[in-house]
Amino acid sequence: MTAAVGTARVPARRARGGATTGAAPLLAATLRHDGRRFAPWVAVVTLLSASSVLVYPWVFPSAASRLALATAVGANPAIGLVFGPADDLTTPDGFNAWRALALGGFLAALGAIFAVVRATRAQEDSGQAELLASGVLGRGSRLLAGVALALIGSLVLGTVACLVTVLCGGGWGPSALIAATFVATGWMFAGVAAVTSQLGSDARTASSMAVGTLGTLYLLRGVALSLDAPAWTSWVNPMSWTVETHPATEAVWWPLLLTVALTAVLLAVASVLQSRRDFGQGAIAPGPGPARGRDTGPGRLAVRLNRGLVVTWSVAFVLLGTVFGFFATSVTDIVGADPAVRQVLAAGATSPDQLVSAFLVTILSLLGIIAAVPGIQVVLKVRSEELDDRVEPLLATALARPRYLAGNVLTALATSTLCVLVAGMVLAGVASAGDVGVAFGDALLQAVATVPAVWTVVAVSVAVVGAHPAVSLAAWLGVLASFGLTLLGPTFGLDDWVLGISPFWHVPNVTAASVDLTGLLWVTLVTAVLLAVGFAGFRRRDLAR
Amino acid sequence: MSVTDAVIDVRGLTKSFGRFPALRGLDLQVERGQVHGFLGPNGAGKSTTVRVLLGLLRADGGTVRLLGEDPWDDVVPLHRRLAYVPGDVSLWPGMSGGEAIDLLGTMRGGLDERRRAELVERFELDPTKRGRQYSKGNRQKVAIVAALASDVELLILDEPTSGLDPLMEHVFQEAVGEARRRGATVLLSSHVMAEVESLADRISIIREGRVVRSGTLADLRGDTRSTVHAVLERAPDSRALATLHDVRLDGHALSATVESDRIGEAMTVLTGFGLTSLTVEPPSLESLFLRLYGDGAGAATSPAATR
Repeated sequence: MTAAVGTARVPARRARGGATTGAAPLLAATLRHDGRRFAPWVAVVTLLSASSVLVYPWVFPSAASRLALATAVGANPAIGLVFGPADDLTTPDGFNAWRALALGGFLAALGAIFAVVRATRAQEDSGQAELLASGVLGRGSRLLAGVALALIGSLVLGTVACLVTVLCGGGWGPSALIAATFVATGWMFAGVAAVTSQLGSDARTASSMAVGTLGTLYLLRGVALSLDAPAWTSWVNPMSWTVETHPATEAVWWPLLLTVALTAVLLAVASVLQSRRDFGQGAIAPGPGPARGRDTGPGRLAVRLNRGLVVTWSVAFVLLGTVFGFFATSVTDIVGADPAVRQVLAAGATSPDQLVSAFLVTILSLLGIIAAVPGIQVVLKVRSEELDDRVEPLLATALARPRYLAGNVLTALATSTLCVLVAGMVLAGVASAGDVGVAFGDALLQAVATVPAVWTVVAVSVAVVGAHPAVSLAAWLGVLASFGLTLLGPTFGLDDWVLGISPFWHVPNVTAASVDLTGLLWVTLVTAVLLAVGFAGFRRRDLAR
Repeated sequence: MSVTDAVIDVRGLTKSFGRFPALRGLDLQVERGQVHGFLGPNGAGKSTTVRVLLGLLRADGGTVRLLGEDPWDDVVPLHRRLAYVPGDVSLWPGMSGGEAIDLLGTMRGGLDERRRAELVERFELDPTKRGRQYSKGNRQKVAIVAALASDVELLILDEPTSGLDPLMEHVFQEAVGEARRRGATVLLSSHVMAEVESLADRISIIREGRVVRSGTLADLRGDTRSTVHAVLERAPDSRALATLHDVRLDGHALSATVESDRIGEAMTVLTGFGLTSLTVEPPSLESLFLRLYGDGAGAATSPAATR
């Protein structure tokens, strides 16, 4: 009898179809094909968390050095902008909470946002979703699969980060709670992205809105933290909820319940919005573009195509400049007490004055290495445009290859230069206000002196993209080598000729009694050779192959 | 054909990608003021040829002259005189169609403003939409307008109408016809038979990296047979049907094929048996291509292949 009822029901239900029909096989397919795109986020966050507990005892071996760090961090309001709560910097777990909690959550959220947008909006843009939607698939299944991918991805991220951190010496309790905050932040922003995917009419709008929300909340959290704002400010900002867990001290788990509740609410809103909108449409219709164009040359085209990237990185460098500027003001506290740190950040300095200026050289070199990243991204854009068949119609006009490449290379070099100068200016402003004997002019001049080395690193990518784009990953070699040699070289006591491979090793200290510019001349010569290789290669090779 | 007046003159062109030979001694001559159809199955080497002509790929061997110049060395002066429409147009996602047209136009050295406006109108293109919002056909229109709005001597069109609706296909054919009347030379690679039939003065057919046939449409049709369907009053005897091929006789209904230059002869024979109904179909372009694209073409059925 019951069996008969059961069989009678199944066809009836199948005929109407649920909103989530087909979600399971779709999720399986999505996990198989898109799942590995979550891997880099898992790797970076795990590295962030695990390296904290791994490096801590080595960099801060003594109780005195740990206290010095705590004092320095406490005295530095800007640090809160980027980092988490500095509850207890005298243990590896406390250090991990300070260093990784906020930043790790931010990265997990980015991973979740891109996963959701890719599986929902981007598929609608590419037409893949249409193919899927024409199959036996409930209206809500694609959203469900995309969100599930992000939720599972965040969970995997948290689990891996927790396990590896514990293996590297972290305590179970704090490591698990820190990892749980990563998961929670990832979940919340999977929800945010699910909502923005219904609002924006294309993938770009949807992810910009979600990332914008993330960035704003992250900064507000940082401002509230560094200004000791009233308690209610941290309860209205979801990004502050994870901070309220204080993993290394009180270890409160219940704020995470708030994040789960918010995730549920956001997903519910997203599913309502999704059920009401038309396929391929969004609440925010894209505005019409201009009917006539004003971009007339390869340079202006390159600037236009990279506008978003340049603006984003400039903002990031204002932040970096602020943070490093405050570092510089408290450099004697952080570095002075500890020979190991001094070895890395201010090699060879003996007096406090030298210490500050040596630190400035190192910190600006670091900023320079990071500033090479947007430049290299601009250069790599040449290759991606080429592969997308957008260079072909341009070069079929009266535009010569060298001019096309030159427009892009100039944009790349200018972008990196802008980043260094922006950060240098902010850093110089903050540091000179801090009464540690840093003059604004000196700090800015030091930033200018760093620029030629940045160009060399960018020029490596020009040579790769111009002459041998098949190995475009090699474009990052310059960044990798400079970073490794600048940060780790002095510690391992490498020979000068090895250290000299990094162009930043040749950056002179502009406050030194006699400034030696021959190093910069050599660096510039190398830049010229690399650029020549890139241009010659780009002239000779087959395009779009 | 006088070689000196050839706008495109390619001889013995070879090009390999790794160990795969894409072009194996290609010859192609296009005369000034003509529309030259460039046909062949997928992967035959059409787009590779076009990219060599545009100086995007470097020829491995052979000689290539375009408007009397070398497409690899004289890129800039040469490209001022030609315009190109790719078969798969990829636009910048955030750039409106109007901006893309102007960008390509200015880089070529300017557009004819009046014609630009007129083409946008005729192709019913909304120039304010962004690249990522256009459908395939509309992206194609952007590239077509950009190319046809410029005053150039040579148009290189690589499957330009893929994705266009029949109405727009018609507009395209008109616009190319106007370009030819202005004196432009057109290299038209296409799979649309009607387009080739109505536009092309001459045709070259490429297979496996070589041009296997080249000539006017009539030339190519010449050695292909027309189909005859007839209903006769008396059953014909087989000796009388020597002029016909592939004869199929079903009672009084006859179907057969006949060489195009022997149709008259065949009619005389058939009239002798009392014709009550007759249809003669010229070889369709499609059947011609099917035969020429297919395996064994060139070798067995077209001894007159121009090489």
